[in-house]
Amino acid sequence: MHARHDAFLLRHAILAAMSENSQDPIIATRDVRWSTYLIAFLITAFIFATALFASSYFNSRRVADVRATQDEISTDILSLETQFDLLQEHSCTDVAENSILPSALQTLANRLSYMESQGGSSNQAEVTRLKRLYSLLEIKDYLLMKQVAGKCNLKPVFILYFYSNKGDCTDCEKQGYVLTGLSQQYPQLRTYSFDYNLDVSALQTLIAIENIRSDLPALLINGKAYYGFQDQEQIEKILPELKNLEKATSTKETAKQK
Amino acid sequence: MLWELGISIVYVFLFISLYYQVFMLVSFIEAGRRPRTIRLHTHTPDDDLPTTAIIVPCFNEERGIGATIESLQQLNYPADKLEIIIVDDGSTDGTLLTAEGYADDPRIRVFHKENGGKHTAMNYALARTDAAFIGCLDADSVVAPEALRHIVAIFIENEKVAAVTPGILIKKPETMLQHMQHVEYSLSVFNRYTLAALGSAFITPGPFSIFRTSVVREAGGWRHGHSTEDLEMALRIQQQGYLIANAPAATVHTGTPPTLRALIRQRIRWTYGFLRNAVEYRHMFGNAAFGNLGLIILPMALISIGIGIFFFLRILYSASQELLHFFVRYEVLGFEFNPSFDPFYVNTSMLWFLIYVAVALILVLIVFGVGLGTGKRRLPASTPLFVAFYSFLVPLWLIMAVIRAVFKTGVRWR
Repeated sequence: MHARHDAFLLRHAILAAMSENSQDPIIATRDVRWSTYLIAFLITAFIFATALFASSYFNSRRVADVRATQDEISTDILSLETQFDLLQEHSCTDVAENSILPSALQTLANRLSYMESQGGSSNQAEVTRLKRLYSLLEIKDYLLMKQVAGKCNLKPVFILYFYSNKGDCTDCEKQGYVLTGLSQQYPQLRTYSFDYNLDVSALQTLIAIENIRSDLPALLINGKAYYGFQDQEQIEKILPELKNLEKATSTKETAKQK
Repeated sequence: MLWELGISIVYVFLFISLYYQVFMLVSFIEAGRRPRTIRLHTHTPDDDLPTTAIIVPCFNEERGIGATIESLQQLNYPADKLEIIIVDDGSTDGTLLTAEGYADDPRIRVFHKENGGKHTAMNYALARTDAAFIGCLDADSVVAPEALRHIVAIFIENEKVAAVTPGILIKKPETMLQHMQHVEYSLSVFNRYTLAALGSAFITPGPFSIFRTSVVREAGGWRHGHSTEDLEMALRIQQQGYLIANAPAATVHTGTPPTLRALIRQRIRWTYGFLRNAVEYRHMFGNAAFGNLGLIILPMALISIGIGIFFFLRILYSASQELLHFFVRYEVLGFEFNPSFDPFYVNTSMLWFLIYVAVALILVLIVFGVGLGTGKRRLPASTPLFVAFYSFLVPLWLIMAVIRAVFKTGVRWR
């Protein structure tokens, strides 16, 4: 009620200002009214506070969104693991059908990298936490898929990609695009991308076991590490199994095939 | 580290800019609420009207001068109290011939002198009139019949008012650039009015600003003022403690540069003139003795040039980075057009919220400006153009003007 009354008064004041102002030319005075300076300051501060609040609200919504997706993936992995343990009672088809789609991991990766690029120091800690969990999920999915492949006689195709965004890897951006392009072309391809400098012990163990040098970008394909930028043709040469994967049937692809 | 510092500066500058916009808005609303002790006599009897001389300084204006003189002839003002003094400042085209065609009107006198610049033409006329009030109408402008009465009424009411500025609108906008300027001029109507309300007008524009002749004489007439004699005169009047008022209802329509080249030249002159005069009148900046003018208006006029350039360079840098990323992506993936929309990727950073608010505020100020100038309450159709492109044009002349001011190169009118 009070707010509505205030709004009415403000509207009245503005309308009065407009109609009076348009009739009466101004008689200028030179007096400084400090109240005007104060009111303007309070309004500006209020606008800033609102912007800060709105922005952090949307950021936390985003974080919650990513966390929910991660929870989902982590539950899926857990369920897959459990299914795998109970393999004797399940058929391999069930397991294969229930595996995490590479595109789900890809979407998550895109969102995380967008949030990372948006910056904001308060947000950064949260994004790093999400990234660490994401790396863990990737390793978990990778290991599990390897096991499933062995038992069920599947032939999943993996690429492990190590990058750095500390500014010491000029080709990483380009390499990322090449892998994105490959994933779009071959939806069954499982690419796992890892921030080389991320402080996750499982990741550092993986790096140590596979003996990955900090000479980035680095790709780990079928147990062998490749350093430096690799374009699509080179990757297709290294990984001939790619050709056996089903190609995406997007309009772009059909256009390309024509 | 440097980037982080840059972000902090962005927020400080955004705060300053927003604060100024809000300050102007609050001042405008307060000006309308202020009780008026003085009633204006816009219908002053003819006998009580003072003598007024309008100078038309002109240099190669044969195309526009006819319309300018005819609009002055149609002013609703007693014939025996109005002088129209046309000073041909050494034109090399048919300006003089055209002007002399109107000389049979007893109110009109036509003079020809050697070219010396606008201020010399003004002083030439000042020396040849006894009128109580003196004004100028640029030869590319036309004035509304009631404009002079609106202005003179203010002088009659307040002895301390030394100058009154009109409401300036654009003469028939044709090019896209002129349509954008149309929006800008609406914003200027708002600013000029609110600045006058704050006692802080620091420009008395060439199109139809009227002065108390005694004050102009006391001040020593017009000066070159680094090619902005209208700004220099206003600062001098303010310095002497007089007031500059505004009558938005006194409408003048002025011609504007149709091309980008001409616009940039005009604006470099304005900004250059402001900067060079700012050096000469630096004692007024931050000086509480000059009220709002010294405390906020002049300092903001100066700071806003720096802010404009800073934001422009920063946007340019960010855009070039984006372009670089785009090319790397293009090289690898080819051109991708992905029309899908994901609300996740809508930019909701604080910076963008503040930019939205700032743009919204500018739109409000434009509406008020249109209201003051024309009585209507709507945004001009070309407002989106103005918002999208004009802020990228302004820094161009700001940068060039700053460079010229630093090296004191001087500027030309044309």
